[in-house]
Amino acid sequence: MLMKCDSCQEKATVFYTQVADGKLKKFVLCEACAQAKGITDPEGLLMAEELLGAAPPKPEAAGVFPFESQDKCKGCGFTLEDFRKVGRLGCPDCYRAFSGEISQRLPSMHKGLSHTGYIPEGLVKQQALRYELSNLTTQLESAVSEENYEEAAKIRDRMEELEKGEEAVTS
Amino acid sequence: MMRFATLLKHPADWMAAQNEETSVVLTSRVRLARNIAHAPFPGWARKKERQAVRESLQGKLESLPGMKDGFSHELSDLDPLQKQVLVERHLISREQAARSEGSGSVVNRKQTLSLMINEEDHLRIQAIRPSLQLKEAYKLAHSVDRKLEGSLEFAVDPKLGYLTACPTNLGTGMRASSMLHLPGLVLSDQIGQVLKGINKLGLAVRGLYGEGTESLGNLYQISNQSTLGESEEAILDRLTKVIGDVARYETQARRRLIVEDPVMVKDRIGRAAGTLTYARIITSKEALNHLSMLRLGADLDIMPGELVEICDRLFMETQPAHLQWSAGKKLQPEARDILRAQMIREHLHSSLPPAIDISGKEN
Repeated sequence: MLMKCDSCQEKATVFYTQVADGKLKKFVLCEACAQAKGITDPEGLLMAEELLGAAPPKPEAAGVFPFESQDKCKGCGFTLEDFRKVGRLGCPDCYRAFSGEISQRLPSMHKGLSHTGYIPEGLVKQQALRYELSNLTTQLESAVSEENYEEAAKIRDRMEELEKGEEAVTS
Repeated sequence: MMRFATLLKHPADWMAAQNEETSVVLTSRVRLARNIAHAPFPGWARKKERQAVRESLQGKLESLPGMKDGFSHELSDLDPLQKQVLVERHLISREQAARSEGSGSVVNRKQTLSLMINEEDHLRIQAIRPSLQLKEAYKLAHSVDRKLEGSLEFAVDPKLGYLTACPTNLGTGMRASSMLHLPGLVLSDQIGQVLKGINKLGLAVRGLYGEGTESLGNLYQISNQSTLGESEEAILDRLTKVIGDVARYETQARRRLIVEDPVMVKDRIGRAAGTLTYARIITSKEALNHLSMLRLGADLDIMPGELVEICDRLFMETQPAHLQWSAGKKLQPEARDILRAQMIREHLHSSLPPAIDISGKEN
């Protein structure tokens, strides 16, 4: 059976398969439409995603950092261009400033995108505390919305205790 | 503090251990990359900032247990030859030898622990053990890491792990590697296939002095490439398994060679012994390749067993900087080649005395 271009009904010669958000999407296009959408050019793939309405890849590696790429690191003055030139960063805070660019490069360098190894003990405690605090915040909100003020007060006291503990860990 | 000369007089702890285990896997090294939070990395920091980091680190490193009678220097205090000697001993990296201002090296007396200040990262903690002991090397490096984190704030992100100057070291900041002697796989033409297999497993294979160096003396370094997404334990487990497999292939290749092609193997070993016992001029490359064959001969009981240890010492001591250090002066390459040949003959004399004395009056 002759496949027709999704875009213009001409004979399709370009078959494009994309995996986005764990879903498989297939497109068939004619030469002209494929070129117009930038699919034949590997550099144009991102543009193709845009045109075809696929979601951009999730910035998983950006971690706790917002997914961004500033032109320059505020901490040390190192620029994104410097990073592109030398492949190295200016200071630890550059990971935040250039997280967008870095997260694109990580998959070709590493087995995974998030750290599962050792982290300093202080940081482990700090993280556990933050996790518990965020849980308590949710509980507090629901207690308040249920007008369970006795419970809310208990939760608030517990949170204050933990916050003191966090200060002790971080200082 | 130990002087440079004292450091050099003693072979490293890991150079001296010889047994069944070191027949293929000579040494295991683990290094951890660490950086001070918010401080610019050495490659981007101003001289003043690098000096400040070095000053804040050096004292702390010197006071670590086992470092009291160790070696501690700012690299700019050492001359190029001394730095090259440290590179040949794998105590500093080639990259670090090229950086001087604000860069430092702290090494314990046994030379099992080497701390590099302001290499590519602010701190690199390296532990070296003989044979395939990556986990033991990691334990040693990790114990130093834990002691230091009490008084230093390292740059760590909960999701990305340790933040390093180059994103290829991100996460654990750990590079673990072993040095393997693989003459059997080279002689039986299987080395290409094995190296390809190792690469496919996501591990890196390099020559004697790390990245971009040629393999000399049939010596290969196998290390992890990925540092993010797997725990230290998982990386070390995988690496230990692969290196153990390669060592077994090497042992099998040696056994097969001696059964299937004994004349070829003995020819190579015999020629190496002939050259090394009679040569008057020998380059570092030629020496390494012949010493490799001689070591193989000793491992296969074709040559006296004590030669394994002698070859391993000569691997190190006939390197250009070590050679010039022992001569007490800088030498031109031609003079080095003559001195190298002489040193090898002297070391081999008791195990492999030459049948004819051709020395005459020249030395």
